[in-house]
Amino acid sequence: MKKSLPRLDSKFIVIAISVLLLLYFIVFPLLILIYDSLFVNGVFDISNYKEVYGKKVNWKALTNTVQLSLIVMVASVIITFPMAWLVGRTNLPGKKIFRTILVASYMIPPYVGAIAWVQLLNPSVGYLNDFIKFIFGLQKAPFDIYTMGGLAWVLTLFYSPFAFITISRAMEKMDPTLEEAARISGSSPLKTLWDVTLPLMMPSIVAGGLLVFIAAASCFGIPAIVGMPGNIEVMTTRIVTFVYMGDAKGIRDATALAVSMMVIANGLLFFMSWLLSHKDYTTISGKSTRPNIVELGKWKWPAFALVAGYAFIAVILPLTSIVVTSFLVSMSKGLALDNFGIDAWIPVITSSQYLESIWRSVGYGIIAACIGTILSLFVAYLSVKTKITGRSLPDLLVVLGGATPSIVIALALIITFSGNYGLNIYSTMWILIVSYLVKYMTMSVRTIAASLSQVHISLEEAALNSGASWIRTCKDIIMPLVAPSIVAGWFLIFMPSFYELTMSNLLYGADTKSIGVLLYELQTYADTQNASVLSVIILLIVLIGNVILNKVTKGKVSI
Amino acid sequence: MAELKLSHIYKKFGKVVAVGDFNIDVADGEFISFLGPSGCGKTTTLRMIAGFDKPTEGIITIGDREVSNAEKGFFLAPEKRGIGMVFQSYAVWPHMNVVDNVGYPLKIQNVPKEERLKRVMNMLELVHLKEYAERFPNQLSGGQQQRVALARALVAQPGLLLLDEPLSNLDAKLRESMRFEISAIQKELGITVIYVTHDQSEAMTMSDRIVVMSMGKVQQIGKPYDIYTNPANQMVADFIGLVNFIPAIAKGDRIFMQGSENISFPNPKQIAGNAVLAVRPENITISKTGGMVEGVMHHRFYMGDSVDYRIKVKEQFIRVIQKGSDYTAYHNGDKVFLDFENVMSFENEG
Ligand SMILES: Nc1ncnc2c1ncn2[C@@H]1O[C@H](COP(=O)(O)OP(=O)(O)OP(=O)(O)O)[C@@H](O)[C@H]1O
Ligand SMILES: [Mg+2]
Repeated sequence: MKKSLPRLDSKFIVIAISVLLLLYFIVFPLLILIYDSLFVNGVFDISNYKEVYGKKVNWKALTNTVQLSLIVMVASVIITFPMAWLVGRTNLPGKKIFRTILVASYMIPPYVGAIAWVQLLNPSVGYLNDFIKFIFGLQKAPFDIYTMGGLAWVLTLFYSPFAFITISRAMEKMDPTLEEAARISGSSPLKTLWDVTLPLMMPSIVAGGLLVFIAAASCFGIPAIVGMPGNIEVMTTRIVTFVYMGDAKGIRDATALAVSMMVIANGLLFFMSWLLSHKDYTTISGKSTRPNIVELGKWKWPAFALVAGYAFIAVILPLTSIVVTSFLVSMSKGLALDNFGIDAWIPVITSSQYLESIWRSVGYGIIAACIGTILSLFVAYLSVKTKITGRSLPDLLVVLGGATPSIVIALALIITFSGNYGLNIYSTMWILIVSYLVKYMTMSVRTIAASLSQVHISLEEAALNSGASWIRTCKDIIMPLVAPSIVAGWFLIFMPSFYELTMSNLLYGADTKSIGVLLYELQTYADTQNASVLSVIILLIVLIGNVILNKVTKGKVSI
Repeated sequence: MAELKLSHIYKKFGKVVAVGDFNIDVADGEFISFLGPSGCGKTTTLRMIAGFDKPTEGIITIGDREVSNAEKGFFLAPEKRGIGMVFQSYAVWPHMNVVDNVGYPLKIQNVPKEERLKRVMNMLELVHLKEYAERFPNQLSGGQQQRVALARALVAQPGLLLLDEPLSNLDAKLRESMRFEISAIQKELGITVIYVTHDQSEAMTMSDRIVVMSMGKVQQIGKPYDIYTNPANQMVADFIGLVNFIPAIAKGDRIFMQGSENISFPNPKQIAGNAVLAVRPENITISKTGGMVEGVMHHRFYMGDSVDYRIKVKEQFIRVIQKGSDYTAYHNGDKVFLDFENVMSFENEG
């Protein structure tokens, strides 16, 4: 008995510290944000809400956000459900490659996608517009990206992977004999899809759709790059505008918008997890789950053309546009053979300002990933491997952070950590790192928890019985077993932190400008070539990260 | 109702031959079991009959209709074959209640609602689930779900019913009672049944004929009694029931036990050279006084209604099971004599 006391202690201390850190950096700022939006000098006062929503521009931003997110949600589901079915359940040629491509668009930073589509479809010199004008002999550009339609288009292309991943995962999990039972009952493949597959998948479809809705509503990069030039405002861009005002009133108005967003986003996420835990029909059966592959027959090649067309438009076309633009000598001369060169690359890779930003973001990403992985390990261990009451509380706090829109987190951190409540880390690198941790730790906790739950408790007990301390047990037994998931968890924090824009844009200071912010500035100053060069560099680093991640986890986890 | 005919059916997955040269003629109303060890191709064959897998070669005919002909590239989709099927995992749709599940095949056929309900209720009565009509699958036990699946497979009155290890997820007691229920329903409806199982007592008790399979090949097709008493080869003898194999050498009309040139048995199959004698444990008698073969009592297991002996004969252990034998009659180490009856002989397959 005596021997077990000290090891309980070290466990408790570690856990207590983790919980305190999470409470202080996640819950406390969000509470302060809510409090500040409702109280002025301790007096209940919601005049800011009335004033903010009394103004037409904010009201319009709200309706724009809801309208856009709804369109993007519905469009994403309509596009990805058949796509997930074709890729997962039919003899579509090349389905493995399509799967990779469709999932991969998830790792392209959204603002890079926005920049690409501005290059392709801006009304004056868009490549695609020019091409269509040329082909059909048109006088006017057929498309204008700077519209609600354009915004919905880009948002759909870059957030539909959320729906694709959720839906195709559920489709893989579903017992294929449920569909076969319908076929043998006399139902055609299409009718089976309608009568059995679709209803069984409904909870996952709704969940995927809601994820898209929240992501689209919380997005800043795409509306800032595509919407602003056309004077289309959404909630996130309004919040940023208010914060840029810099005075107390601006901040207070921003809090009113931010709290509204937070309530909607977290409410929807809560509903979604309830839906998935209570209505998930996609049960895994015992054996005999060999996937039944639907023969497409004469539809095989039309379906192939459809999916290939989508993959081309959604991923290949924008990436090509970015890469090609980065190698243009002069934007005004267009796509001529003598107009290609590395001229735009030279200033980027020789300028200290650019290089510093790149290294800085890599550095912040590494620091955030290291701290985050250690914390994730403790949180995951606590929730999966112990029986202490309240063991899943830290997990819940981390999920709360991840579920909160980035812009809301950034605002909460500004208010809380600029000295009014003790700690002042405003415009230091630490506020950026804290924001990354709050937002991105959840994926890493999930990954590590999943692998920890595979490690049987008896292994651990064996080590403890042979006299090892708890910390020692962690190091010698648990760590090596869950090492791949730890590496995966590390990258899952590093990569989105590295190219983060929304929070960095509000939190950076004179010496802490990150690569995302720099890229955003370049784009707003219409320096589209240097922006493309920087985008290519970001994409390369993300690609390398993903290749490593894929190797380490044997393809089980990727961004 | 429906006959079923498979001729020269092959199924290859890449280089793996899952099923090789399967031939059978199933009569209308017959109950056929596919029996064999895991991975021998039972499910694959059943899925080819259902239309979920395409045969690489061969012709399948149901009733007087060709449903699959690899040579002509003809293949009828499962929904057009008019077959009932019960899956091992039940495959009862969780988003429909019992009535909707069972009524689905009729709904597809546009049977009017009233008639549909009547036929569904008749079916539920047959499987003893009438009181559960409004329930959802998550409110039913495994056995009840299995009966929903059975009712759904039968409701459209198919000529042919396929079952893939339908009882393997149920507990032993329920398995036994479901066995008789399925048999009774089959007799009542006069339907042709193909029943996949790797449980030999299931196959023995239910079937008119059994198809014993191994490594993708049909080893024997026959009535349960014939398969047990007259297995076609060593594999079948080994797989069905218990058996002792004794190495032997065939010379002319006799087969000699290896090492005991004075003990021999007839050679009806005219085997030449290396052979194997096979004798079931219940066909051996033990005595203290004398018999064909001498051995030493090595072990005895008391089973209640019988005693299971291991007797060492030369370098080999022979298993003997005697009903109502006196456990105390022998002791380990005793010298005993064995007499063999109904000795079977096979070519040595190694
Ligand atoms: N889709 C497939 N691709 C490749 N090989 C397959 C496929 N389906 C089945 N096989 C192989 O064909 C062989 C027969 O499989 P089948 O499922 O028919 O066996 P089974 O007799 O039903 O076994 P069990 O009793 O375990 O259900 C096995 O070796 C299996 O690995
Ligand atoms: Mg099988």
